[in-house]
Amino acid sequence: MLVRIEMELEDVPGQLVKVLDPISRFGGNIQNVVHQRDRKTPLGRVPVTVIFDVDERARLNRIIAALRNMGIRITRIGEREGMVKSIVLMIGHIIHTDIRDTIDRVNVIRGVMVSDLSLAMGAVGEESAARATIMASDEKRARAALSRLEKIAGEKKLLMITSLEGM
Amino acid sequence: MRLIMIGFGNLGRAFGRSLLEKKEFLLTNYGLTPSVVAAVDEYGAAVDEGGLDVKKLLKTAEKANTVADYPARGKKGRSALEVIEEVEADLVFELTPTNIKNGEPGLTHIKKAMMAGRHVITSNKGPLVVAFRELDRLAKQKGVEFRYSGSVGGAVPVIGLAKKMLAGNMVHAIRGVLNGTTNYILTRMSKEGAPFDVVLREAQELGIAEKDPTLDIEGTDTACKITILANAVLGISAKLKDVKVVGIRRIRPEAIRLAQEAGYAVKLIGVAKRDSLEVGPKLVPVGHPLAVGGTLNAVTFETDLAREVTITGFGAGPRETSSALLGDLIDIHTALGD
Repeated sequence: MLVRIEMELEDVPGQLVKVLDPISRFGGNIQNVVHQRDRKTPLGRVPVTVIFDVDERARLNRIIAALRNMGIRITRIGEREGMVKSIVLMIGHIIHTDIRDTIDRVNVIRGVMVSDLSLAMGAVGEESAARATIMASDEKRARAALSRLEKIAGEKKLLMITSLEGM
Repeated sequence: MRLIMIGFGNLGRAFGRSLLEKKEFLLTNYGLTPSVVAAVDEYGAAVDEGGLDVKKLLKTAEKANTVADYPARGKKGRSALEVIEEVEADLVFELTPTNIKNGEPGLTHIKKAMMAGRHVITSNKGPLVVAFRELDRLAKQKGVEFRYSGSVGGAVPVIGLAKKMLAGNMVHAIRGVLNGTTNYILTRMSKEGAPFDVVLREAQELGIAEKDPTLDIEGTDTACKITILANAVLGISAKLKDVKVVGIRRIRPEAIRLAQEAGYAVKLIGVAKRDSLEVGPKLVPVGHPLAVGGTLNAVTFETDLAREVTITGFGAGPRETSSALLGDLIDIHTALGD
């Protein structure tokens, strides 16, 4: 299974190597490491995402236990087997048309979750812009989520901009 | 080859200049000696079946703003239709302004020219989005050649690439940045973070956007090109109204910034597939072949054998478009085996 662990590390030398060690030692095959030094948390920690492949749950549990024992702050663990990620922009009166409702109506689709939302507010009376990341367990659900969002965007007069790859 | 030029504005003149510039080149490389026997604009015509002096024609058009003032051979009020019917010629260049509502006057010019047995070259999108099939059939029926390379991509040989070089392929989908004006606006917005209106005004001052930019920014121009590509390359009988269109007027710099943070650029993309034709702003991954900046155009063909082929270049401008017109002229000359 493909696993994604998001952590926050202290901004001191050697931290990244320290967390990668138990992952590979317990049989995780690291696929990708995203070390976002430019996106520190308010407490000055550095968000790090590691995606790795591991063949059984027992090994994953040992990896997580080892990281926790080291005092690493884990913010999210997700199995990402075949997860499909879609990025969507929306422009319009996003807040005034109930952004909570927009997200909820996408989230109720099984296997679909809006995992990230960034908002840029317009000046008073002007339109705002939002970027949403939608994770879906497979292509079919990803398409369902996008077409649901398209319908909502139509109702709420939002301009929805999807990625070229999905066309 | 005897040519009639209908329309002698910026594009007609630029083409006239390239005929002069390439005179030796055309003769040496292709044995082609084009002779402009008539030029027509909205005020009148200049006709000389022995061949007009293109240099003199250009000078007249620039000074008097009409070819009708051409010494001795110019005549005010002589119409394009009269010239097409009365003047002996092999080929008609239809270069009048685009009218997407009914294709006129270009549509009638092209039909009349074909009925008179003349080959036709145009870059005018109007007649093509209104009556592509009809014109294609008429050309075949009358046994004349019909080319329209300059209508899509300007200098970028989009249609030629698909129809000629990729001839052995099945084209599944066509995606492209087909409008330089909107691409310039989106590029500037992403670089400067400036609002749409400010960038649009700048583009107008630079002559990149027209005084009335509606057709560009509402996506209509891109939709015209998608319609032409759907017909010419995918073989669909599509009309402009079959394309679902969204423009870029609502794009805000903040939205572009949010896209950039996630590794995307916002581009106005036209897509032609057998089951759908659409135009709208899309997220294009940075580094993707369609993520071209400034006034550039880019088109990707998704095919069965060659997989994806992308072509990029300058889509607009009279000199650039005359490259397409001249290419069509040489192509017809070669096809006829003259």
